[in-house]
Amino acid sequence: MIELLTPSRATILQRANPAFKLVLFIVLFLVTVQTRSIDFAINQAAVYTLLLFILGGFPVRKTLLIVLPFMLLFISSSSTMILFGKGDTLWWQWGLVRITEESFYRGIHLGFRSIAFAAEGLLFVSTTPSVKLFYALMQSFRLAPRYAYSFMASIRLLPMVWEEFLIRRQALQVRGARIRGKGLKGLAEHIRMYAVPLLSQSIRRAHRVAVAMEAKQFEGQGGRERTYFYPSRICWIDGIVLMLLVLASFAAYAAALHFPWLGITDVRYHA
Amino acid sequence: MINHGTAGKGGDTVAASVTELRLKFPGEGSFIFKDLSLSIQKGERVLLLGPSGCGKSTLLQILGGLIPHVIEVPLKADEIIVPASRGYVFQDPDTQFCMPYVDEELAFVLENRGIEREHMVRQMREVLDAVGLHPDELHVPVDSLSQGMKQRLALASVLLLEPEVIFLDEPSALLDPDGRKQMWEAVWHAAEGRTLVVVEHRLEEIADRMDRIILFSPDGSIIGDGSPEWIFRTFRRELAQYGIWYPGVWENFIRLMEIRQAEAENSASRSGLTPLLALKKYTGFRANRPVIYVEAAEVYPGDFIAVTGPNGAGKSSLLLSLMCLLRFSGQYVLCGEGIPETAGASRKRRKKVCPPSDRIGYVFQNPEFQFVAETVQEEIGFSLKNPGMTSLNQVDETSRRFIRSFHLEGLEQRHPYQLSMGQKRRLSIAAAVVCGQPILLLDEPTFGQDARNTFAILDYCLEMQAKGAAIVMVTHEEGIVRHAATRVWEVLDGVVNERPDAGLHEERRVGT
Repeated sequence: MIELLTPSRATILQRANPAFKLVLFIVLFLVTVQTRSIDFAINQAAVYTLLLFILGGFPVRKTLLIVLPFMLLFISSSSTMILFGKGDTLWWQWGLVRITEESFYRGIHLGFRSIAFAAEGLLFVSTTPSVKLFYALMQSFRLAPRYAYSFMASIRLLPMVWEEFLIRRQALQVRGARIRGKGLKGLAEHIRMYAVPLLSQSIRRAHRVAVAMEAKQFEGQGGRERTYFYPSRICWIDGIVLMLLVLASFAAYAAALHFPWLGITDVRYHA
Repeated sequence: MINHGTAGKGGDTVAASVTELRLKFPGEGSFIFKDLSLSIQKGERVLLLGPSGCGKSTLLQILGGLIPHVIEVPLKADEIIVPASRGYVFQDPDTQFCMPYVDEELAFVLENRGIEREHMVRQMREVLDAVGLHPDELHVPVDSLSQGMKQRLALASVLLLEPEVIFLDEPSALLDPDGRKQMWEAVWHAAEGRTLVVVEHRLEEIADRMDRIILFSPDGSIIGDGSPEWIFRTFRRELAQYGIWYPGVWENFIRLMEIRQAEAENSASRSGLTPLLALKKYTGFRANRPVIYVEAAEVYPGDFIAVTGPNGAGKSSLLLSLMCLLRFSGQYVLCGEGIPETAGASRKRRKKVCPPSDRIGYVFQNPEFQFVAETVQEEIGFSLKNPGMTSLNQVDETSRRFIRSFHLEGLEQRHPYQLSMGQKRRLSIAAAVVCGQPILLLDEPTFGQDARNTFAILDYCLEMQAKGAAIVMVTHEEGIVRHAATRVWEVLDGVVNERPDAGLHEERRVGT
């Protein structure tokens, strides 16, 4: 999983300050949330997906693989709105399903916005190693080291839990333990069979890691002044990234104004 | 308490000490320590010895200041002296690091101490040199290191604390022989001029390097305190009883083996027997990649096969593919019945092949993962109930018989998780062999166990071997390979080869 999300190319986004980048992407998120125009939503989805190809750092084929679920996202988020949303201009009706012109456009609008969200999120995640992010948060946003380091330590422990899950599955096969019951009861049985051994191992392990960290003179309360191995600075690269992303969303907006696809500037339903 | 002359008792020469210590874990009836006094001088190399559960590790954590400051345990003492600067290396190589890369992990210590960034890399290189790790690059993943290298990395990060006293809590219990040797070499190099306090069961590498051994009895009191030679001479019986890997621990076992062998020689040789398990051009796959290859191999009743080889060579993969948990290709005949290949087979055909648990007993490395029931009794009876062939009465009777022969009496209603290490291990073997399977596969069952548990496990295996079962055991334990096994399979880079028989016997004779 971790290897899957490690980019193979170094891009400018990876070199930007993670804390600064986080703020930048939160702003982009808010812009996408507030988008009412359907053209702007389509353009944003297109622009950020394009950026994911160029600046995500993955090979094109892998990016295609990552982008593939966007279709699913689009269908799932737009279909409910299309089929059941409010509207006056009726196109088709069958039982509870009621497709109107308004609900159709609103559904499409929602679908494109979810794609835009996904692309923005992936662009951030794929270009930001978690360790660097926590270092930047500690230094720029005064995140308490005890939270930062417990997160980083737990990320290290995750693959071990996965490995143990596989061992437990094999052990259950060997012992011939079949999960009895279907549906909810079967699910509860599943959880019982897996949760107890995995949790007991994880809790013990987490405790040991915590003791080992404190034995290395880690003080979660922050008594002594910490130094940092990775510095967190703002430099000219961050300026370029800022310009790049602002330009991207501005271009999407300008294109929506000058070359509208559908020309619907407000998809909200007004009775 | 016996005290054998140590250097002057002035206050400034004491590195760590406790006076009149009393400690009881909440919820437990008896004291771990009752009025214990102990002091360790600067520059001394002290080994704390004793049976599992006598409180050595707890004492180490008190001397090192982890209890009660980090781990809260109520205790009472007249005085506790904790060294001003100290470092800890723990047992488990996988739970000592919080960062994914070597340089980040070492930086973690330097950051804690507030060392300036400019000095960090130089100090990292110095300590890595000191423990014999020479990575070309500092930014390598911690998980790419072997277990032994991880322990040396842990030692390196401890050195960054510039400790006056280094505490080692069974640092080599989970390492293979090579890793163990290299780790101790690094310790001797690094501990030059420092005080060393060690808890360890395995004494081969360290006994002659220690200045002083403190021997604890099961109730947590000190029964011997002096030089290693004196301890080994005076407390031989106790050392054996406490399950300590003292030098010469195998001698008793060798004598027993000789008696057994003399008996076995009278019984039939294996020429007339049909193999229980036969492999030909057998390949096991993990995620469609071949990970283990056997040209040809047969397992006969009464065999005790030790599977050895470096970590990651494919020993576990071999056992897993024999259990049909990994896909395989080639010929696999089990008890006269061919098992269809699963590699490249259709999903439908793969589904039909399930682990042959009725013919092969499988013991996992960590016993906890294979427990499925709520009580010890149900755990043993579990596999019996599965085929639905035996009546409840029979199940009850058989489980009781196994509980007796694996010394688990009185624990029938306990939850398997509430047992001690040795008991869990015994239960896991009992539950795996309860159906009377002719073949038993064990994945490093003696790993991290003390001598007593190891010999108990070996005893059960030999007993089953005598009854005509075949044992296949993955192990790093030289003693098992040399003294207990009748055959040795060496796994190197995913290929299994049998070590020539003659050499093995010769070696055995030399060893005795």
